[in-house]
Amino acid sequence: MITKQLVYLKGAKEGLILHLDDQCGYDELIHAIQNRFMEGHIDEQVEIQISTGNRYCTNAQMTEILNEVEKALKVRVSKVRSDVVTIEELNQRLSESQSSTYIGIVRSGQMVEATGDLIVIGDVNPNARVQAGGSIYVLGKLKGMAHAGKDGDSNAVIGASFLSATHLSIGEVRETMTNERKELSEMPEMSCAYLNDEGDISVKRLQEIRIIRPELATFKGGS
Amino acid sequence: MGEAIVITSGKGGVGKTTTTANLGTALALQGKKVCLIDTDIGLRNLDVILGLENRIIYDLVDTLEGRCKVHQALVKDKRFEDLLFLLPAAQTADKNAVSPHQMKELVDGLKGEFDYVLIDCPAGIEQGYRNAVAGADKAIVVTTPEISAVRDADRIIGLLEQEAIESPKLIINRIRTQLMDRGETLDINEITTHLSLDLLGIIPDDDLVITSSNKGEPIVMEPSTQVAKAYRNIVRRIMGESVPLMSLEKQKPSLFSKFKALFSK
Repeated sequence: MITKQLVYLKGAKEGLILHLDDQCGYDELIHAIQNRFMEGHIDEQVEIQISTGNRYCTNAQMTEILNEVEKALKVRVSKVRSDVVTIEELNQRLSESQSSTYIGIVRSGQMVEATGDLIVIGDVNPNARVQAGGSIYVLGKLKGMAHAGKDGDSNAVIGASFLSATHLSIGEVRETMTNERKELSEMPEMSCAYLNDEGDISVKRLQEIRIIRPELATFKGGS
Repeated sequence: MGEAIVITSGKGGVGKTTTTANLGTALALQGKKVCLIDTDIGLRNLDVILGLENRIIYDLVDTLEGRCKVHQALVKDKRFEDLLFLLPAAQTADKNAVSPHQMKELVDGLKGEFDYVLIDCPAGIEQGYRNAVAGADKAIVVTTPEISAVRDADRIIGLLEQEAIESPKLIINRIRTQLMDRGETLDINEITTHLSLDLLGIIPDDDLVITSSNKGEPIVMEPSTQVAKAYRNIVRRIMGESVPLMSLEKQKPSLFSKFKALFSK
């Protein structure tokens, strides 16, 4: 009987990929990793990728696999590829990429929060707070506080039909919109705030998002 | 079955108690049976404005703690035949002496006997506020054309929207026509769009409100004043009539002043 190789290296466009069998037991796999590399030897300083196929590994298991591979093969693992995710991870990713819509006025003392983009249909009154993992768009007057990219996404923008916020934050940057900020008092209508190359919050016409952040567009098709 | 209306504002000193006293009196003048509840435990005022201070025997806390029956605590305003009653707040307890649940039971009971139960809410958003809104079916938010009052009104409206209460209605109190005309205070339009609430009425500022409060006679009893008309209009709106918003202009602009305005542009 020919035993199936549980662990094998394969060259690909991206470099060397170590394929790990996804049908055998976990202990069997670890054992195979340890034995597999007793035989062969590769030069040090080589970077390889690991592909776990359809096997789901917990974080602890993944760490063990990484340790075993690096120990046995004396290589550095640059990337791990897996064809499976848990529902939980998927939902997390989905909610990060989705936009949530809030209809109504966000009043003083209230907070509206979204994991992905946030669309508010209504005003955001002074002392109210809206925050989102992605961008924030307000179809109404933004007069309170807004924090886009609250998990650190500095590409996020804050757009509003009428932008006269007291505080704007994008990613890690937080700014108070004092009277010295001319652009806000001069053209509050149809404006958007974004992080410029110097890492400061700038305000431009809403229409310019197309040029400043083309990657925000997710629309496909059309003519 | 009557309805319970809470009168609230968030900020203190905008005229909640004065409004409660005047709306209650005006409703009684319209022949409705009204009960006013003062929920500002520890800082009661409604009895003073109504001139009923020295007729109080029992109070809200006495009622809720079973020291007396509700009827024993109700103070009758003798100026109105069996139409206007006050349930005064306790002065010696604090807001935590009462729970929202108790208040709801009390108000529900009173609604069976009265056409309107008006609840005067204390300033703030803590226990006193929660007690006051607990039994209410409707809410009236009082504000003045000051930015601080409008901010607090916004906060309170946000809180009211989370209760099982109909969309609140707005009263803008203490309007000073000259200041508003000169654009030195928020105008009515700005306030209503900012709060996006239906306007129930506007009340001009008048020194007479203070003098009449000091005498213990709500100003609606002086029908000739503009403030009394404003309160009476509001009451008619509460009763379901549609009454146009009163004009606060002192006099209609003459042809000459219109002409002048045309050239001064």
